Amino acid sequence: MQGLPLRRVAITGMGAISPLGVGAEALWQGLREGRSAIGPLRHPDAERLRVKVAAQVPDSFDPATNIDERTLPMLDRTSEFALHAAREAVAQSGLDFRQDQLGLRTAVIVGTGVGGETTQDEQSRRLYGENAARAHPLTIVRLMTNASASQISIAWGLRGPTFAVASACASANHAIIQAAQMIRWGLADAAITGGTEACLTYGALRAWEAMRVLADDTCRPFSVNRRGLVLGEGAGIFVLESMEHAQARGATILAELAGSGMTADATDIVMPSADGAAAAMRQALDDAGLAPQDVDYVNAHGTGTQANDVTETRAIRLAFGAHAERLAVSSTKSMHGHALGASGALELVAVIGALRDSVVPPTANLDQVDPACDLDYVPNVARPMPVRAALSNSFAFGGLNAVLALRRAP
Amino acid sequence: MNDTTQQQVFEIIAKQAKTDVANVKPESTLKDLGVASLEAIELIFDIEEHFNINFPDQQGANFDSDTVQNLVDAVQKALADKVAADAGSN
Repeated sequence: MQGLPLRRVAITGMGAISPLGVGAEALWQGLREGRSAIGPLRHPDAERLRVKVAAQVPDSFDPATNIDERTLPMLDRTSEFALHAAREAVAQSGLDFRQDQLGLRTAVIVGTGVGGETTQDEQSRRLYGENAARAHPLTIVRLMTNASASQISIAWGLRGPTFAVASACASANHAIIQAAQMIRWGLADAAITGGTEACLTYGALRAWEAMRVLADDTCRPFSVNRRGLVLGEGAGIFVLESMEHAQARGATILAELAGSGMTADATDIVMPSADGAAAAMRQALDDAGLAPQDVDYVNAHGTGTQANDVTETRAIRLAFGAHAERLAVSSTKSMHGHALGASGALELVAVIGALRDSVVPPTANLDQVDPACDLDYVPNVARPMPVRAALSNSFAFGGLNAVLALRRAP
Repeated sequence: MNDTTQQQVFEIIAKQAKTDVANVKPESTLKDLGVASLEAIELIFDIEEHFNINFPDQQGANFDSDTVQNLVDAVQKALADKVAADAGSN
């Protein structure tokens, strides 16, 4: 690989659908105000479910405002989120994919933990619960994991490498890393990437209940009284392009995606390992050419489970050494919930906000210090401070770690 | 009745731990019996299914599943709560 100059990667557009509202701006404003979108579960089966709280996209979200009526019937809720967020991101980037045939050189890589769960749940209910004789004919095109990526590709005529990435709670980060690598190595000049998840179905909620990792009150990352994670949903979608391409057209650069790290724990299917997470963070720093002391902020995976928060704290210390004491670390899952395969994408909106506005979003609901979690978690109130570079952690069941390194736009 | 409940819990634990029921003692911890994190959750599921009860959520402070006796106590409490709830609804 020697001698091949790697291209730098710019982020020039972002869009989001999240429990804090429609749009990346709504998400970022909510986070910097320390506003939690976690509330009582709104679900037709809420009465008989044991899950009590969730972070849900507001009912006011109407996919029809931004998606044409011939496409809508093709879409599971995951793809509604993704396509809507993609429209916002593309509009912000100002890219015209027809110009110079850019569409031929644009990749679409979207992460999702499971894909079309709403469709799967509805059709299963019809078949097993109501003894229906047939499934809806659009079941497959709605539920396939690659549906969001394919719908985005079709919407803008993007003909570069297009596929889905699935790695549970690390899906979005793994997808974003794939897209960035395509650009770095010259396999694409631009990419649309991110993550999407719509996982609050009856079946999925029952499955999460049985795992016994859900909080019954709210998400309290790093707080000694934390009681587990709170499920969320949504999508974050970004436009990436080579720095050269972005600068040549005078685009507004939101941040530089400077590097990444990916590792597997190879230990336990659910219990996280500090070594695996620390190795991914170190890789991301090295890959981005950052020394630990260049980094001001870490957006933590911070699920609010007993196991994650202690292990992640240890991992940050392993990766950053003495500089860990000087880092601002926060878990925005305390506000937007855990959107599983979309979580890294929602968190990237938070990191870009921190880099651009010089404000670190807080960890909400952190009211009782845990002696085993001994870093600066920016409790409850955002902190104005310069952020030169940041890491964004995603760790998944299955022992999979994917870390992004971001730098302020040049 | 209590002995029977205890015996049933012991048998479910022995099966999950892939050990003889004679090795399951009230003071044994699940760890002693080689029942690791995810297996413990599976064990709780097996017990819930067997007795048709719901344990409180484990992340909460009110449910201790460290030892075999803790589990037996939790089953007995859940069964008593169920009887009380059934009586209440009549």
